[in-house]
Amino acid sequence: MKSYLKSYVHLKRDAFKYNLAKAKRMKVCYLFLLPYAVLFTTFFILPICTSIYYSFTQYNILEKPEFIGFQNYINLVLQDEVFLTSVKNTLVIAVITGPIGYILSFLFAWFINELPKWLRAIAVVVFYAPSIAGNVFYIFSIIFRGDVYGYLNSFLVEFGLVDKPILWLTDPNYMLTVIIIVILWMSMGTGFLSFVAGLQGVDRSMYEAGYVDGIKNRWQELWFITLPSMKPMLLFGAVMSITSAFNVCDVPRALAGYPSTDYAARTIVTHLFDYGFSRFEMGYASAIATVLFLVMILCNKAIQSMLRKVGS
Amino acid sequence: MENKNIPVKPAKKTRGDMLHERMVLLGEIKPEKQFNKKKFFLTSVIILAVIIAAIMVIQFRLNAIDYYESVTYGQETEAAVEAATLDEPEVIEATLSESVSAAGVSKPQDYSFGPFYRAGKLLLIIAACAYAFYAFIRLIAPKRRKPNRSVWGDFGIYFMLLCVAIMMVFPLVFSVGASLKPLDELFRFPPTVFPRQPTMDNFSDLFVTLSQSFVPFSRYLVNTVFLTFIGTLGHVLVASMAAFVLAKYDFPGGKTFFSIVVTALMFSGYVTGIPNYVIMSKLRMIDTYWAIILPAFAAPIGLFLMKQFMEGLPTSLIEAAHLDGAGEFRIFWSIVMPNVKPAWLTIIIFSVQSLWNTNASTVIYSEAKKTLVYALQQIQAGGIARTGQAAAVTVIVMLVPITIFILSQSRILETMASSGLKD
Repeated sequence: MKSYLKSYVHLKRDAFKYNLAKAKRMKVCYLFLLPYAVLFTTFFILPICTSIYYSFTQYNILEKPEFIGFQNYINLVLQDEVFLTSVKNTLVIAVITGPIGYILSFLFAWFINELPKWLRAIAVVVFYAPSIAGNVFYIFSIIFRGDVYGYLNSFLVEFGLVDKPILWLTDPNYMLTVIIIVILWMSMGTGFLSFVAGLQGVDRSMYEAGYVDGIKNRWQELWFITLPSMKPMLLFGAVMSITSAFNVCDVPRALAGYPSTDYAARTIVTHLFDYGFSRFEMGYASAIATVLFLVMILCNKAIQSMLRKVGS
Repeated sequence: MENKNIPVKPAKKTRGDMLHERMVLLGEIKPEKQFNKKKFFLTSVIILAVIIAAIMVIQFRLNAIDYYESVTYGQETEAAVEAATLDEPEVIEATLSESVSAAGVSKPQDYSFGPFYRAGKLLLIIAACAYAFYAFIRLIAPKRRKPNRSVWGDFGIYFMLLCVAIMMVFPLVFSVGASLKPLDELFRFPPTVFPRQPTMDNFSDLFVTLSQSFVPFSRYLVNTVFLTFIGTLGHVLVASMAAFVLAKYDFPGGKTFFSIVVTALMFSGYVTGIPNYVIMSKLRMIDTYWAIILPAFAAPIGLFLMKQFMEGLPTSLIEAAHLDGAGEFRIFWSIVMPNVKPAWLTIIIFSVQSLWNTNASTVIYSEAKKTLVYALQQIQAGGIARTGQAAAVTVIVMLVPITIFILSQSRILETMASSGLKD
C-alpha cells in the first residue's frame, strides 16, 4: 500500500513537472487566453464563488457580512413559504416548457429541413423571430387583457363561450398557464438554429444507404440515422433549453405583475430579484442563487446521460 | 486558349438517382407516375375556380338574406323606440310591414335556409384552402421525392408547419397592427387585428414624448450604439483570441477551462446578477458603461461558438504558417481570422442582439446614461394614455434584431452547424 501510494505521488509529480514544462513552452497560449480568462473569472466564476460564500452569511451591502452557517438555507426551506411556491412554479414551468420546447424545436427544425431553400429561409425567420424580438411579449398583455378589450376575452365573449371576461393575468388559476404558453411561444431559440444547421450537415450518403437497408418511413429514418448523427447538437440544444427553462423571469414579471397575485406566478429568479434588489438581503438572495445553480447542473448531467442513449 | 472542343457533359446522375432506378427495376418500390407540373397547375386552377364560383353563388344568396334581415331589423329598432313611447303593439307591426314593403325588398323564398348556406360556404372555403395548400405542396416539392416518403405524411407535416407558423407570427403581426392604429381603434370592441385607418401618429407621438424628456432622445440612442459597438468589438477580439488557442493548441488547463465555459453557458445574467453587483460596486463600476461592456466581453456563448467553428479549420494551415516563420499573433490575425468570417459575424450578431436589448436597470442609475431600451420601457410603463406609444416602442425594439437576423441568416446557420457539444 505504501509503495503504491509512493509511486502514485511520483507519477503525479512527474505529470505536474511535464505539464509545467509544457506550459512554459506554450507561454504564448496563455497570453492569448489571458484577457478572456481575466474577464470571465471576474464576471462569471468569481460571482459564483462569492455567491456561495455570501449564502452562508447575513449581508446587506452596508454592513459587513456576518457568518451564520446554514441558517439561510434552513430559513429558505422551513420558513419561507413563498420560496416553496416559487420552487413549485419554476419546476412546473421548467418541466413543461423545457422538454416540450426542446422537442418542438427539434421537430420543426426537422420539418423545415425538407422545404425548398427559399421557403426554408422564411420559415427559420418566422420560428426564430419571437425569441429575439426583445420585449415583444408585452403584446400578450393585450391579448390576455382582463377586460373585454383584450383579444382573447373579446373573442370568447363574442362567441358566447363565457359570459363575463376572464382575468387571465390576475387570477391565480390562469396565470401560470398563460405564462407557459408565452414561454413556449418564445422557446425556439439558439438551440433551434443549431438543429436547423445540424440537419443540413447530415451526410446524404447515410440516407441512401438507409434506403437500401430497408428503412421504410421517415420516422425510422429519424430514429436510426438523423438523431444519432445529430447528437452533439442535441446536447447543445439541451443546455440552452435548460437555461431558458429555469431562468424564467422577464415574462412573469411583465405579464403577471411583480409581485403577482397570491405569488401565483413567482419563480425562483423573481424571488431572488425580490430579495436581492428590493430588500437588499444579499446573503439570502445568494442562497437562492446557489440552490438554482445546483438544480441546473444536476439537471444538465441527467439530461446528458439520457441523450447518450438516443438511437441505440 | 479556348477549349470549345470539349463536349458539354450530360447532367450527371447522382448515386441516389441510380439507386432509385435500380430499386424500381427490382420492384422494391412502385415506379412513380410521371408528374407534369404544368398540367397539374392547370387542373388545380380549374378546380379552385369552380369552388370559388360556388362560394360566390352562395354569397350572393346570403347577401339577399342579410339585406332583408337588416332592413327588417333596422326598422324594428326605430319602430321599437316609437312603440315604447306610444305603447301600442299594433302600430309597431303596421310600421314594420309598411317599411319592408316600402323598401321594396321581397322576402326571399328560402329565407329559412340561411344557416345551411352559411355552413356550406364555410365548408367550401375550407375545401378551397386545403386544396390550394395541397397544390402548393405538390408544386414546390422537389422533382424526385425521397423513396420512403408518403404524400399524406408530407401533407400533414406541411399543414402542421403552416398552423404553427401562423401561431408564431400572429402576436408579431398584432403588435405591428396595434402600433399603426389611432387611439380610438385601440379600444374598439371587438378589437381588430388590422387597423382600419392606419396612421403613423403613434410613432410621431413617441418622438414628441422623447424630445420632451429632459435628456434628449439622441442621447439614449448614442448610448446604446456606443455600448453595442464597443461591447461587440471587444467581445469578438477577446473571445476569438481565446477560442483560437483553445481550439488549435493542446496546452495544460485548456480543456478544463473550456468545460467550465460550457457549464457557464447555463448561468444567465439573473443568477450571477447579485454577486456581480457586489463585485462591480467594489470595482467602482456601478453607474458607468463598464458595468455593461466588460461582462459582455466575456459572454460564454461567443467563445463557445468560435471555438467549435475554429476546430473545423485544417491544422496543416497553421503548421505551414509556423514553418514559414509566422508568429502566433500573425497566424491568428492574418490566417485564422479571415477564415472564420461566418463565425465572427455570428457572434457579432448574438452580441449586438443582447446588448441592444439590455436595459441594465440594475447597474445604471443616471438618466443620461440609460440605454434606449430602458428609456423606451419607461414610456411603455406610462399606462393607458400611452398605449399607442407603447405599441410603437415594441415595434421599434423588435425590428432591429429581426432585421439583422434576416440579413445574416446564411452566415449564422453556417456557424451553428459546428455548434454541437461533444461528450
